[in-house]
Amino acid sequence: MISDLTSPDAGTAPGEGPAPNRSRFGYAAVALLLAGIVLGAAIGLLVPRFRTPGTDSVEAGFLRDMSTHHAQAVEMAMIAHAGSDTPGIVTLAADIATTQQAQIGYMQSWLRDWGLDPTGRDQPMAWMPDAAGSVVNGLMPGMATPEQLASLRKATGRDLDVQFLTLMRAHHLGGIHMAQEAEKLSDNKDVDWLAGSMVAAQQGEIQLIDDLLEQVRAS
Amino acid sequence: MSTPGPERVPSTVKVGKTTGQGKPPANKPGTSRPNAGKTGKKGRKPVAPVKVSGGRNWGPIAVAAAVFVVAAGIIGYGVFASVQGSRDWTDKLADISGVVNYRAQKNAQIDDRTHKDGALTYVTSPPVGGAHNATWQNCMGDVYTQPVANEHAVHSLEHGAVWVTYKQGLAADQVAVLQKKVEGKDYMLMSPYAGLDKNVSVQVWGYQYKTDDVNDKAIDDFIAAARVKASMEPGAACSSGNTSTGPVTGANNGSTMNPAGS
Repeated sequence: MISDLTSPDAGTAPGEGPAPNRSRFGYAAVALLLAGIVLGAAIGLLVPRFRTPGTDSVEAGFLRDMSTHHAQAVEMAMIAHAGSDTPGIVTLAADIATTQQAQIGYMQSWLRDWGLDPTGRDQPMAWMPDAAGSVVNGLMPGMATPEQLASLRKATGRDLDVQFLTLMRAHHLGGIHMAQEAEKLSDNKDVDWLAGSMVAAQQGEIQLIDDLLEQVRAS
Repeated sequence: MSTPGPERVPSTVKVGKTTGQGKPPANKPGTSRPNAGKTGKKGRKPVAPVKVSGGRNWGPIAVAAAVFVVAAGIIGYGVFASVQGSRDWTDKLADISGVVNYRAQKNAQIDDRTHKDGALTYVTSPPVGGAHNATWQNCMGDVYTQPVANEHAVHSLEHGAVWVTYKQGLAADQVAVLQKKVEGKDYMLMSPYAGLDKNVSVQVWGYQYKTDDVNDKAIDDFIAAARVKASMEPGAACSSGNTSTGPVTGANNGSTMNPAGS
């Protein structure tokens, strides 16, 4: 068919036919080109938006939840930092408080960069599959209860040291679990990087906590 | 038969549909092919080519238009979603009917952010801003069962917390509904409030919403829009605050971040 159609004008009017044909085609081409430029510019403006995680993403859920999770670690570390008489624990507490507070800053600023709210409407852990049951009274895995925190605030001396180390150990285990899942589920390299660093650092600190617990109990 | 024409081939592709061009050279009516009006291979030349070109463009134009419309739709949605998603939190609060915007009032007493010792008086009840104690009330999802000092709670508002207050003596099952919204969440605190004129009042720095219904969806909307966002000091924490209840005391003034033993 095509060849059928092509041949007549091709063969018959090489001089005449193409001229109007070309100019119309030219207008169409220019119009398409302009449309293409406009489209391209619009897409260029929007691509960053499409590339960053959305409000229902694993990444956003993890950053929001881990911010809250970290905030409690900071809370407990500040209590131990102010109250412990054991130099190794005071140092560990300072390390945890400053590191995790700074990481909250990373997480919150990424949410802000992505144009997302710092908090979400979802229940905690909603981003993590099959994790709904792990939230008890609004607390994510490893988080201390209000009663445990009240007890920690009142404790002094060896009692404070043991309570702090025990609570922080459980807190780290919960945090590591969340960070490992985030690293697995997320495909954002910043989030993967930070989650990976949390896993490594907190696993190392659990070693240290175990050593300190042994020392404190022996003293 | 095709040698001179290759560059025009693309534009001829759609011709099949346009009946118009068959007509001029319709000197071979006998052909039975459906589209074949134009079968005139040897048909009349001068007119036909012009018409062919006119008809030809419709195909690509239709395709281009369809692509353009789809693309524009996708992009339009993207723009909409992105604009919608990045709406300011104050706009979201403004959408909630009944929210009072005290920031807009430019009331110097409410906007006052200085630290002051001792008991202070506030313009609104519960307060939404103003001078406050140097120590903030711990707002790590703390659920206080007794009233807390305004002087501490206002400092928590300054740090970005949502303070959920309820009429003292509210039924336990209703308190439990509110508690679910607060426990385990940082930048949230909750306490009973003596003399509250509604069952529930939620506030951040400069904004307040009151309702009698603990299940009022606007409470959740208020929290979702303003929690952390309302902070006057981005990054300020909710831990290391005062965790005791009752009126402000000398012991709470400034120095005791972590009131030992109380």
